[in-house]
Amino acid sequence: MGALDGLKVADFSWVGAGPRATKDLADNGATVVKVESARRLDLGRRSPPFAGGDRHNRDASVFFAQTNTSKKSVTINLSDPRGVEVAKRLVAWSDVVVENFGPGYMDRIGLGWEVLQELRPGIVLASVSVAGRSGPMAGFRGYGNSAAAWSGHCDMTGWPGTEPHMPPFAYGDVVAPMMLTVAILSALEQRDRTGQGVWVDVSQIEAMVHVAADLFAQMPDEKPANDDPSFAIHGVFPCAGEDRWIAIACETDAQEAALRGVLGDDDVSSLTRAWEAEALETALVAAGVPAAAVLDGKGLAEHPALNAAGHFVEVDHPVIGRAKMPAPPYTFSETPGTVGPAPCLGADNADVFTEIGFLQDEIDSLTAEGVLA
Amino acid sequence: MMMLDGIRVVVLADRLVDFGGSMLARLGAQVVLADATGMTAARRKAWHKGMGSSDAPLEALLDGADILLDDRRTDPRAGVDALAARHERLIHVVATGWPEGQPRRPVTDLTLMAQSGLMHVTGTPARPPLRLPGEQAYALTGIQVATAALMGLRARRLSGKGQRIAVSALQAAALANYREAVMYEHTGRVGRRRGNMLVRGSSGVRQIWPCADGFVTWSMIDNPGMMRALVRVMTEHGAAGELAQIDWDAILVADTDQAVIDRWQDIVADFFAKFDRVRLASWSLEHGLGLSPIIRLSEVPQSPQMQARGMFEDGVPGPLFAVHKGGGA
Repeated sequence: MGALDGLKVADFSWVGAGPRATKDLADNGATVVKVESARRLDLGRRSPPFAGGDRHNRDASVFFAQTNTSKKSVTINLSDPRGVEVAKRLVAWSDVVVENFGPGYMDRIGLGWEVLQELRPGIVLASVSVAGRSGPMAGFRGYGNSAAAWSGHCDMTGWPGTEPHMPPFAYGDVVAPMMLTVAILSALEQRDRTGQGVWVDVSQIEAMVHVAADLFAQMPDEKPANDDPSFAIHGVFPCAGEDRWIAIACETDAQEAALRGVLGDDDVSSLTRAWEAEALETALVAAGVPAAAVLDGKGLAEHPALNAAGHFVEVDHPVIGRAKMPAPPYTFSETPGTVGPAPCLGADNADVFTEIGFLQDEIDSLTAEGVLA
Repeated sequence: MMMLDGIRVVVLADRLVDFGGSMLARLGAQVVLADATGMTAARRKAWHKGMGSSDAPLEALLDGADILLDDRRTDPRAGVDALAARHERLIHVVATGWPEGQPRRPVTDLTLMAQSGLMHVTGTPARPPLRLPGEQAYALTGIQVATAALMGLRARRLSGKGQRIAVSALQAAALANYREAVMYEHTGRVGRRRGNMLVRGSSGVRQIWPCADGFVTWSMIDNPGMMRALVRVMTEHGAAGELAQIDWDAILVADTDQAVIDRWQDIVADFFAKFDRVRLASWSLEHGLGLSPIIRLSEVPQSPQMQARGMFEDGVPGPLFAVHKGGGA
């Protein structure tokens, strides 16, 4: 039994910000039906890397596979009114609807909040967007970097005295879905006690603001970079080899003394250069000093503790083959999660459409007419 | 009514669970801080919003509690497991630095981020790897702690029983890196620090641009609609130059020669430099340019969007998200 067994989710979201939240739910037992269309392919299916380098195979994206573990996939053409009627049946089956469409799209196709409540009283609608569904920026169409720009992250990233820095990943697409998962679970808690539906509205910008709460509490004039003045030693230091570094953070006097016991009393940067990063990490950790080599993608993939803890789960996928997928960072004693493969496009059409009440000949004709495509 | 009205939470905090406890409080739970190693005013203001505190013995606080957030970053907290096990309905969330079952080791936000693979690609090639600003590993772990607690509540609704849930800060930080490990595993490529260049295919494009009163972010990516929209605005101001002649549906920027991209970017740079962030942002909102102004940290709380959504309370972030027409947090 998973923690979320019995929970039914109609997932209209795509790319990263919605799907990472519904992955959380699916990996923990919820039945998540991902609504897709071959006519408007999830951009995640076009995102590298691709198994075997096959970028033309819509089921070969490992990015997509990682983001959509344990889900089912159906194809519905929402630009066809008959497709919207099919979607309404799916909504009536579900406890939760998740969407990250452009502003107003759900209303335009006839799946607005009022309609959803009529279809399924007590439903939870979970929306995620760059700026949220209200306020002067409700209509804003942004990209991965937008939330970093609007939240102060970009301003505070980089070295003191330099221009703003934009990391090469969409951090808003990481923290917003985490907040969306919390929003969905807490909305369900309220729904279960009151019977009332709830529409939760998560903003990527606001999620980014929340995870920078310590900066807002102190409001520094300058970028902190790797510094933290409350620590005796806090930084990233060079090690032997090309682009090899170690992070060291001495929180207490005892840790600083232990560091000196390992390294000596000279300038830390000059002392660390003589060490291999992993050897120094081992020596410092053994002495009780918080220290860690700065890992690249290879180091992360091969991380002994992460692999031993089951952080990467090997899953068989019909196109990708056996591949590692990230697992949730928590372990339940009584309701363990299970990470399954991501679905191929439309792989669950027959099962899902039958479950929500369609007869096989209806499914066949709607498929032939391009409604279930 | 708040979403978690009636839920009682006890918190033993040492950075890993702080934000998680505060999140549950903001959702309406009654959250009591029973221990907080190394408390500072800044930490309290940033990460403890909504929490109360108590000096009562943990044993007494656990009577009637629904959730215990048990932070074992520096202290293994001997005896707490046995105490928690006496309460059948208690959801006991235990947060550690390294995953349980692995040797304990000292961790901080910086050392956790170092192991996430994110620092290695943040910054410039000529300087050391950079962390993201703020205490991101702690914040990420806090969100996962809240998530685990809420999933425990839902499971209890089905089974009637609580359970023990182990959360690893190392895993929470590593999970935020959605690209570097998978790119290495499937292509053998290892990401590098490239400053503010966004590299796709055989070429790179800028992400940060000076404007009249600061900076904006925008990238010349393969999005024909966005490119046409920008060129239309530039044309209205007589600034499009050769960009007006390009069929954006017929080219792939990612495969274009770097010298040509640089020439095109120079035209864009001259245009952006003439206007301020408010003007450029309003065009972006109106025309879908994909551009955002880079807001200074001190400007964020007063931005119209934050004000309209009531995002800040007493100078720090308040509501976790908005709730429409249904009540709640």
